[in-house]
Amino acid sequence: MTFAERMLKIDRRIIFLVIGLCTLLPLLYPVGLPIKISPEVRGVYDYIESLPEGSVFLLSLDFDPASKPELHPQAISLLRHAFRKNLRVVAMTLWVSGTGMADQVVTQVAREMGKESGKDYVFLGWSPGGTAVIINMGQDLYGAFPADYNGKPTKGMPVLQGIANLRDVNYAISLGAGNPGVEAWYVFGKDKYKFELGGGCTGVMAPGLYPLLRSGQINGLIGGLRGAAEYETLIGQKGKAIAGMDAQSATHLAIIVLVIICNLFYFSMRRQATQQSRSGA
Amino acid sequence: MIFLRRQVPLLITLITGLVFAAQYYVPHPASEQMLTSVTKWLQIIGGFALVLGVSSLFHVHAMKIRRKEAGWGYSFVLYVSMLGTIAIGLWSNGKEAVDGTMTAFGWIYNFMMVPLQGTMFAILALFIASAAYRSFRARSREAAVLLIAAVIVMMGRVPLGEYLIPLSGDLSQWILNVLNASVRRAILIGVSLGTVALSIKIIFGMERSYLGGGKE
Repeated sequence: MTFAERMLKIDRRIIFLVIGLCTLLPLLYPVGLPIKISPEVRGVYDYIESLPEGSVFLLSLDFDPASKPELHPQAISLLRHAFRKNLRVVAMTLWVSGTGMADQVVTQVAREMGKESGKDYVFLGWSPGGTAVIINMGQDLYGAFPADYNGKPTKGMPVLQGIANLRDVNYAISLGAGNPGVEAWYVFGKDKYKFELGGGCTGVMAPGLYPLLRSGQINGLIGGLRGAAEYETLIGQKGKAIAGMDAQSATHLAIIVLVIICNLFYFSMRRQATQQSRSGA
Repeated sequence: MIFLRRQVPLLITLITGLVFAAQYYVPHPASEQMLTSVTKWLQIIGGFALVLGVSSLFHVHAMKIRRKEAGWGYSFVLYVSMLGTIAIGLWSNGKEAVDGTMTAFGWIYNFMMVPLQGTMFAILALFIASAAYRSFRARSREAAVLLIAAVIVMMGRVPLGEYLIPLSGDLSQWILNVLNASVRRAILIGVSLGTVALSIKIIFGMERSYLGGGKE
């Protein structure tokens, strides 16, 4: 077995170790490289910034704990921004497995910003039906959620004053890790009930949502940990996303180096095989 | 019986399909009221579907345990975990926290489900790196193009990449906004047209596999 062959069949535990170290070391010793703001993240930020005080901001946390590292920092930044702007925040989830986590993040940020449940914000929780919940909210918000997550009746809540359905929402953002998520909110929500929509998603999903962004079906997109880090930079509050960017930088670079090495060995093996076949002929 | 099992569902599908396709274009209050009522039915059906799903899962794994099929131990673990979580969930009234104090259900959610799901997703990073090393090779021109595009996007999406190659950020944006968006849009249009065609076939009874029992 040649050296190239041996390297191509390297024990995968070595690769795991490299990736593990590339994740761990930057977290322990952060570098803090500057983060450039993309137009799609700025689109979300600028729209929230342009909303007048008391506008209705709907945040749908459509993800479960598997996507927490990427979408949790996005949720925290968006909530901080919305509360700072004194918007009326209506939070909910379409993913039953994410309900507890969504409640925690909304309550935690609201407490940090001195906001009161029922007056400044409401967490509606989860309701069965998947995408049908969006249509139901579009027709009658109180029919879809007669009570909030804590069991308090939604009708008569000060935060929901003047809101009958999704047509009364000024801006909605879905932080989606799959279906139902951003696409469902466009198809079943924005298209019929005409509210402005933005999106947040995992890094893997982001390329799939660019057609919606380019056509104006969503006015901005926060993609993965990078998007969350950009938003943290925009609101000027460093969080877990900015802390994680050095680790992501290092792992990306490690994967690129590994792919280049693998291709170098692959081409050297192919050249050897060609030379051998020529000499054999 | 065949009338109830075949003709009635086909008739319901035909009527509801046509009525609700038309409803989208009729903003009359009566039409909107009808949609409001039907979406409530959908939510109720959604609730039942959840119960049906859980009972089906119970049935499948009960059979595996009874027959002692390969991997029946995992089914047993699933059974115990599910029953335990349901019991504790009911006991905690479905709440993870009451007045800021974590319930037993909340403990299961925060210290079992959250780290388990997080771990599963985190492991992916290791396997992606290993798979990329083993199989991401420029075997053909197409593979080489894919490889170069992937490297540019990976560099352009992280601060270190933009620091080392300043142009990678703009190049990555161009790949995502122009090349990726146009190809994705073409796929989306194709999928949407296929969905429309399938919906028409279902509404007019040409596609009946959703009724079960195969084609007649």
